[in-house]
Amino acid sequence: MRITGTMINYYFICQRKLWCFTHHLNFEEGHQNVELGKLIDEASYSREKKQIMIDGTINVDFIQDWKVVHEVKKSRAMEESAEWQVKYYLYFMRERGIEVEKGILDYPKIRKRKEIFLTQKDGNKLKEILDEIKNIAHLEKAPTTINSKICKKCAYYEYCYC
Amino acid sequence: MESYFLFSSGELRRKDNVVRMTALDGRFKVLKIEVMRDLYLFGKASMNTDCLNYLAQSKIPVHFFNHYGFYTGTFYPKEANVSGNLLIRQVEHYTDFEKRLNIAQEFIQGACYNILKNLKYYRQRGKELDKAINEIQALEKMISRTVTIEELMGIEGNIHRVYYGTWTTIINQEVDFEKRVKRPPDNVVNTLISFLNSLVYTTCLSEIYVSQLNPTISYLHSAGERRFSLSLDIAEIFKPLLTDRIIFSLLNRKVITEKDFSKDSNYFYLKDKGKRKVLEMYNSTLDETVRHKDLKRNVSYRKMMRLECYKLIKHLLGEREYQALRKWW
Amino acid sequence: MYVILIYDISMIELRQGAKVSRNVFKICKKYLTHIQKSVFEGELTPAKLQKLRNELAQYLREDLDSVVIFKSKQKKGLDKEFWAADESEKTSNFF
Repeated sequence: MRITGTMINYYFICQRKLWCFTHHLNFEEGHQNVELGKLIDEASYSREKKQIMIDGTINVDFIQDWKVVHEVKKSRAMEESAEWQVKYYLYFMRERGIEVEKGILDYPKIRKRKEIFLTQKDGNKLKEILDEIKNIAHLEKAPTTINSKICKKCAYYEYCYC
Repeated sequence: MESYFLFSSGELRRKDNVVRMTALDGRFKVLKIEVMRDLYLFGKASMNTDCLNYLAQSKIPVHFFNHYGFYTGTFYPKEANVSGNLLIRQVEHYTDFEKRLNIAQEFIQGACYNILKNLKYYRQRGKELDKAINEIQALEKMISRTVTIEELMGIEGNIHRVYYGTWTTIINQEVDFEKRVKRPPDNVVNTLISFLNSLVYTTCLSEIYVSQLNPTISYLHSAGERRFSLSLDIAEIFKPLLTDRIIFSLLNRKVITEKDFSKDSNYFYLKDKGKRKVLEMYNSTLDETVRHKDLKRNVSYRKMMRLECYKLIKHLLGEREYQALRKWW
Repeated sequence: MYVILIYDISMIELRQGAKVSRNVFKICKKYLTHIQKSVFEGELTPAKLQKLRNELAQYLREDLDSVVIFKSKQKKGLDKEFWAADESEKTSNFF
């Protein structure tokens, strides 16, 4: 199973969303927040090298000199999941012999950025997370809804709660 | 997102990055490709593959109608997202007869509930409908006891026969309407039913298109009865809420009268001006919203069609048993 | 939201100006209805508005051109009158 950065991100946000995503149930098209997010990526870094797919698995927003990995986000609301997403990119590339130094989370809207490093401990935790993601993807039924206040902004909200 | 309704005859072409309809007299309409949801063609439009490819690329379904306003087909662009897993479940629920019947019955339960809701509304407004309501309620109890699709369809036919029998009571205009005649419709009411039902069908289809369900696998109607038979299934629930309510309203408020129709040899059909009046009402009804109690937000009729797709997906994936929309407002 | 967009493209550099003007026009009509010379209107979601903005940004010259957007939460919030020719057909989706 190919595990993408989005899956790592969803793992921290909502396991039900992760399950739907791994089952190719995608309700994101046309959803305001999702579309806006994509457009902000596009507008922010048009001059730099953009969006490269590595090994047919992870889709990185851009890489500076094969040393620094960038991930663009709309807001800091989901910072933990975004951090792990970047850590996974670092992990994934190092596993394949690419010596990346660090990652950067970019928030063009609020003109902020945050550096991300991958520690030995993070690497071990990622191994566990990857196993758990595989387990969730193989569940027969979707995990239950999380009834959180973040649900209202999610592209899956109507699907989950109708 | 917007729907476009083109009556003029002329040429539909891609020009720069929009689609443009140019009428024979040179007048033209630019179709805003970025905000177009779907396109309805009623006139004689010629177009080339360049234009169709561009519409497909922009994921815009095109619905075609002939000169008499009869729906003839849809240009359904290749689906952008498909879930193999969901498709397998969709098929499983069709081939397993018990599972299929179960879903089919629920479609009829929903439709019947909404029919009764219409009748109760007009009873409250002083129409004598008690007898019909009782008869339909008796038929309603039989839905869950049916053991074949044919039997279920028979019950559905009976419900509709009683229901249509009340229409001359509900409609204040003098109309000649005894029973449903489809091919071709023979009077004002039958023509309106055919026209509006085909619109409901196309709207459901446009919503199925974005839901990831496969429109060719259906439960009440046999798969293959029409190309997109799932749309017929879902439309069943919405016909009482849209088609029927709109007809009552158009005729009772005399927005539409016999003058909006024309007859030629066998066909009794709506003139363009009549079609336009019906479409305007239909289009604005689709955008009307009501409060959804679980979502705690306002939803339009169009959104409710999408929600039916979602509920069906949850049923197919074994998450929650499907419950068809029952008008709660 | 309901949007009215107006623009002025500088023709100081004639050839470049003409090119910008042509492209701005072509982009706007994908999203909005052309009402008058450099005036467009229509209903847009925030995402579509952002998309339009991104597309226009490729052509607009920061120091020369101007685009002004009027936004209203709902179309109802705007009264529209025609003082000469009635051009209500222009924004209709029936044709």
